Amino acid sequence: MAENDDSVFDPSLLKKKKKKKTTFDVDAAMAEGSPTEAGDNTDKENTEPASYADNVDLDMDDLESFGKKKKKKKKPFNLEELDSALPSDTTVVEPSEPAQEDAVEDSFDYDMDFSKTKKKKKKKKDIDDLVAEDEKEKAEEKENENENQTWGGSDRDYTYDELLKRVFEIMHDKNPEMAAGKKQKFVMRPPQVVRIGTKKTSFANFTEICKTLHRQPKHLLDFLLAELGTSGSVDGNSQLIIKGRFQQKQIENVLRRYIKEYVTCHTCRSPDTILQKDTRLFFLQCETCGSRCSVASIKSGFQAVTGKRAAIRAKTT
Amino acid sequence: MSIQNLNTFDPFADAIKGADDDVQDGLVHIRIQQRNGRKTLTTVQGLSSEYDLKKIVRACKKEFACNGTVIEHPEYGEVLQLQGDQRENICQWLTKSGLAKPDQLKVHGF
Ligand SMILES: [Zn+2]
Repeated sequence: MAENDDSVFDPSLLKKKKKKKTTFDVDAAMAEGSPTEAGDNTDKENTEPASYADNVDLDMDDLESFGKKKKKKKKPFNLEELDSALPSDTTVVEPSEPAQEDAVEDSFDYDMDFSKTKKKKKKKKDIDDLVAEDEKEKAEEKENENENQTWGGSDRDYTYDELLKRVFEIMHDKNPEMAAGKKQKFVMRPPQVVRIGTKKTSFANFTEICKTLHRQPKHLLDFLLAELGTSGSVDGNSQLIIKGRFQQKQIENVLRRYIKEYVTCHTCRSPDTILQKDTRLFFLQCETCGSRCSVASIKSGFQAVTGKRAAIRAKTT
Repeated sequence: MSIQNLNTFDPFADAIKGADDDVQDGLVHIRIQQRNGRKTLTTVQGLSSEYDLKKIVRACKKEFACNGTVIEHPEYGEVLQLQGDQRENICQWLTKSGLAKPDQLKVHGF
């Protein structure tokens, strides 16, 4: 998933920044007149909020104890430290690398976003429960991808609902095909089921449906027969002949269960999936969100004897 | 303190062991089979062997007004077999009597 990559990427970026900072730790710092640096930055980037300068001041006070904080940074709840650490890093780094001004500025923007959102989160932490926390974490990741426009404008805290709405808007903008919230319609022709005589049923467009679902006919066949507790085979006209009497509605039900288990992604419900066999287990690999999960193996299980017992006895002896 | 974390553990060992893991998957499989004509048969596989299946079948027969039997299967253990489509009935009854939790029940068929 894209978010995953980002979340992996985030800490490493912070770490890099941190390392750079520690090298500057001793000689740079206060004398440089960091507040003015910050002022430059705010001029360059109009997105910076008014509270930024205050932030930097706090950071400068905190500079001596950075060594300790570095160790803690992995923990998600050490937000205050993160807050204070990030802006100062960049301010210290910037004068040393004037050539990479643009690049630094970009990452600076990024960091600011991060710290700001983190801060928001921290303030609300006591009210919101853990689930909300998670949601917000996601929100932040999304925020980071996006350039922040509405955040810099004011000092007020955004409500949880506003944040949530924003995440979903961004998610929809970025992934119009993703089934977040809206269910994606999966259009398929209904199965054509015809009775043959009194004891058999024909599933005429069986092969066609296998093609629409991108599944091996054998796999679907195994499933159908196991679920219906009967036997059958594909004939010359590529239709499936099933022993027993079944109505279209009933076949449809079984097909629906098959699609739910073996076709649509269990995470995002996208039908764009691949079924792979790996060490006796089937795995469903999603092409949309990249999730991969094992699916139940098809077992017909116990089969009761339903035929004429005399005939079976005759066959076995 | 021994270092147990370093022992190799194969999470798929159960799956590789054999096909009989169906018995141990903790699910109660409720299936339906067609017989001749409109007649059907319901089978219940995977009930814990701690239960007395004979008592269960006796109670079910009375409750659903159908015939039934217990079949000893070498692979799947004791299997309950009831006449007619008793899937709804048996699900409700198993849940109500506390013999199986609703999420343990796996209903197959059309
Ligand atoms: Zn998916």
